[in-house]
Amino acid sequence: MEKHLDKLPSFVEAIKSMKETIIANIVFIGQIPAPTFKEKRRADFFMKRLAEFQVDECTTDGYRNPIGIIRGTSPSKPPVFVVAHLDTIFEKDIDHNYTVKKRTIKGAGVLDNSLSIGILASLPEIFRKLNLRFESDIVVAGVIQSLGRGNLRGIRHLLKTWDTPIRGAICLEGVELGRLNYYSEGMIRCEVECDISPTLGPLQKFKSNAILILNEVINQILELRLPQRPRSRVIIGKISGGSKHGTIACKAKLGFEIQSDSDKMVKSIYNDINDFVFDINHQNEIELKLKTISNLSAASLKYNHPLVKSAGAVIESLGLKPICEPSESELSIFLSHNIPAVTLGITRGENIYLENSTMEIEPMYKGIAQIIGVIMAIDKGVCDE
Amino acid sequence: MNSNWLKKNTFHHSEFKDINRLVEEKERKKIKISLCLPTLNEEKTIAKEIIIMKSELMSRYQLLDEIVVIDSGSTDRTMEIASSYGADVYKADDILPKLEKFKGKGENLWKALYITTGDIIVYLDADIKNIHHRFVYALVGPLLLFDNIKYCKGFYDRPIARGKKKLRPTGGGRVTELVIRPLFSLFFPELTQIMQPLSGEYAGYRELFEKIPFPIGYGIETSIILDTYEKWGLDVIAQVDLERRVHRNQDTKSLGKMSFVILKTFCKRLEKLGMAELKSGFFNEMIQYKLGKDGYQPDIYKDKGFERPPIIEIPEYREKFKAI
Ligand SMILES: Nc1nc2c(ncn2[C@@H]2O[C@H](COP(=O)(O)OP(=O)(O)OP(=O)(O)O)[C@@H](O)[C@H]2O)c(=O)[nH]1
Ligand SMILES: [Mg+2]
Repeated sequence: MEKHLDKLPSFVEAIKSMKETIIANIVFIGQIPAPTFKEKRRADFFMKRLAEFQVDECTTDGYRNPIGIIRGTSPSKPPVFVVAHLDTIFEKDIDHNYTVKKRTIKGAGVLDNSLSIGILASLPEIFRKLNLRFESDIVVAGVIQSLGRGNLRGIRHLLKTWDTPIRGAICLEGVELGRLNYYSEGMIRCEVECDISPTLGPLQKFKSNAILILNEVINQILELRLPQRPRSRVIIGKISGGSKHGTIACKAKLGFEIQSDSDKMVKSIYNDINDFVFDINHQNEIELKLKTISNLSAASLKYNHPLVKSAGAVIESLGLKPICEPSESELSIFLSHNIPAVTLGITRGENIYLENSTMEIEPMYKGIAQIIGVIMAIDKGVCDE
Repeated sequence: MNSNWLKKNTFHHSEFKDINRLVEEKERKKIKISLCLPTLNEEKTIAKEIIIMKSELMSRYQLLDEIVVIDSGSTDRTMEIASSYGADVYKADDILPKLEKFKGKGENLWKALYITTGDIIVYLDADIKNIHHRFVYALVGPLLLFDNIKYCKGFYDRPIARGKKKLRPTGGGRVTELVIRPLFSLFFPELTQIMQPLSGEYAGYRELFEKIPFPIGYGIETSIILDTYEKWGLDVIAQVDLERRVHRNQDTKSLGKMSFVILKTFCKRLEKLGMAELKSGFFNEMIQYKLGKDGYQPDIYKDKGFERPPIIEIPEYREKFKAI
């Protein structure tokens, strides 16, 4: 294993010499809007691009996830997956023209996750340039319908219908270079919607207020006693409601997530919240609904799993310090299928969720070298137990 | 009037998307192709143009032989950025330094003829936000595939980038519809078939560009069309639909200045062709007014209408290109 680590720093320079190709791919892909559920144009382009770079096989699975397969030298070895989600949070009518400067690329969705898709599209050419052949097939996949209401549908489907073993997997996220995720928490993402039918005339003043009802829900959530162990929390992340300053609010909506290392704890917190939402609903004559938008089960590799160890070593060999935190995303789906997997970040940047999100170009070359290092480790057998 | 031209010599970029075929044709003809980007403070867009052309048309396909940036004295980081992505970057003033110096886009295009080595030269404005390599291969396509075509002009519908990032489609440019098209209709009706005479995206053979004069400023697009038309006729010209080009919006006052220069370039040629006669010369000032503290004040824009001669007449050029 030590041997391939030595090569990584020299890869960084070679990758850098291909910067025009890599940046062109990031720009071409990022400039095609791909809001969740409307990823087709970007998916088509991604596939066309892989084909242009002479990837051995380019197809879509039954769910229209675009994938490319770079054939390995040993047909008996299961494939290595490298995936990134293809969708972004930006609607089609947002300006998607990117701006490239000497050190940065700016544009909607570049960090989450167009950068990663651009790199997936560049990998075949990078392998060629570095003269790399692998034993395993390398499957690069841009998975659709990942974010928000997409609820990781693309990756779930891809893995459900892939009927042969998978050797190991790498998930890519634009930021932050050095991240090394190998476990995901249990999670339920919910929305509470309060709807009060509008009344006219003098009665208006006496009816319930949707915002105050949600306030009551929030208060009760805050009163929940959450255990330290297993670590658990409720994050209140989104709220909207009302229409005018001087009018009682008829509609309001609250979005939150229950997160915990333990699936059981997630479920039990969910039941508590469900109970008091039910109570509040009946005390007032209103319509208050708790909806689950998505959920994930907790899953993890051991911190001393060889994949985690060797990914950590790869990151360190490039002069970076690995940062380990839980991650939801594609990772958890691989892990729940018992496929060893990690999530890696590619560069640094700012304003990840804004239209003007901006990535730094220079750290990306290390980010790419790191991906190759981990692919090499998996190809050498760190995931084969 | 030859109204057949529109049908025969108008193409769509998709007709040239088989880049391999273009490269083959280029090799068969044993010619080189240069891309020239004239710049003045274009740090936001220049990198993307260079990166995409280099990646797609130099690395992936060998259609382009060089990318040259010629700068009119940018005060932002245009030049630094352009060289960091491997373009050959020049200050216009440093080229042919013995000649009197002028400032303007036409000047840069003219000097590019001396600096570049290609047999075909592609000119693209450096402010294209939605740059794509079709802007180059589609302009070069007709030149490579049809022997009669020597000059190829781009056109597109023109959405304008507005303040809040919403795109709104427009017709031809305002100056095109209000100045050029009426003039062409009055004097050269055949030329009305050129959809966007003012587009900054065009390509042509060196043997053509070197034989015509280049106005140093805004008149350049109009003069190339008129001079080519007069010398070689409509059939050497083609136009290609490049589909979409995102433009920044210009205020009416700047369009006024542009129109002033274009009108002058145009009238000069009318006179030379004996189609009109001016009893006295032109004034060199475009006078606009702005409201200041003390009432209306003239805001004067000077343009002497200087034109560079056909570059083939310059000894250094003849020396370099061994022209007779
Ligand atoms: N105006 C101007 N442009 C120059 C000059 N030198 C180079 N250029 C470049 O010439 C190209 C066209 O200039 P623009 O000012 O955009 O002119 P235009 O395309 O007619 O006008 P827009 O509608 O604003 O795009 C750009 O790439 C400029 O950077 C100069 O001295 N003046
Ligand atoms: Mg322009």
